[in-house]
Amino acid sequence: MLINSNKTMTIKQYQAIKLGFVVILAVVFSQSIIFENFLIPIALLIVSSLILLLLRKRVKGVLADERDYLTGGKAALLAIQIYSWIAVMAMFILYAFRDVNPAYEPIGLTLAYSTCVLMLFYAVIFRYYNKVKLGDKKLLFSVFVLALFLALIVFSLRLFSGEDNWICQDGQWIEHGHPDFPAPDKECQ
Amino acid sequence: MTNRIKELRTKLNITQEELANSAGVRRETIVFLEQGKYNPSLNLAQAVAKALKTTIDDLFRF
Repeated sequence: MLINSNKTMTIKQYQAIKLGFVVILAVVFSQSIIFENFLIPIALLIVSSLILLLLRKRVKGVLADERDYLTGGKAALLAIQIYSWIAVMAMFILYAFRDVNPAYEPIGLTLAYSTCVLMLFYAVIFRYYNKVKLGDKKLLFSVFVLALFLALIVFSLRLFSGEDNWICQDGQWIEHGHPDFPAPDKECQ
Repeated sequence: MTNRIKELRTKLNITQEELANSAGVRRETIVFLEQGKYNPSLNLAQAVAKALKTTIDDLFRF
């Protein structure tokens, strides 16, 4: 197996494997939306991330240097700004049209909260890099990855567990749990 | 700011890839440095100067 071997890898080989994982993940995610099964893609995401972390150690050569980090930082800041503006504008539009479709309100609020969380993460990480001496990047990265995985697991368990939803039973929409949104408009068959 | 990276690298007959490996960066970064499109950190400037057997003062002109 690739992981068990002690052979080193070239950057091109590593990038090819990484691209392969991205393609597989994209296919699995698209299928999971169709089949409404989100556990398999999340498990695959965790496993592929771990495999890539292990493979990265075998790469001979420099994967990223100071110029990449500088460019990455600028690109990330611009991406955050663009996303925030789009999310805020979409939130206002969705909130204004909440009477048209009640689902617009939670979508708008989710966008607003996600923007706040993103800004908060950026502020905390910026402060860390700005104030704390850069001695333990690996620890910060590990904590961030762990927090992200935990959030993903909690989110997926909560959202896709099938609790708090409307169930079609004998031609009627029946409350299952305590859904905080109205019954679907479409006919229950 | 200008530099003599390409001149000294050619004189020493080493490739961009070899210089990049010696300095611990990607080859593209050496390309950007030679074209004057990127200002390196002090650490990188020192690493490149060392790989080219010279000093930062001699390598970069302000």
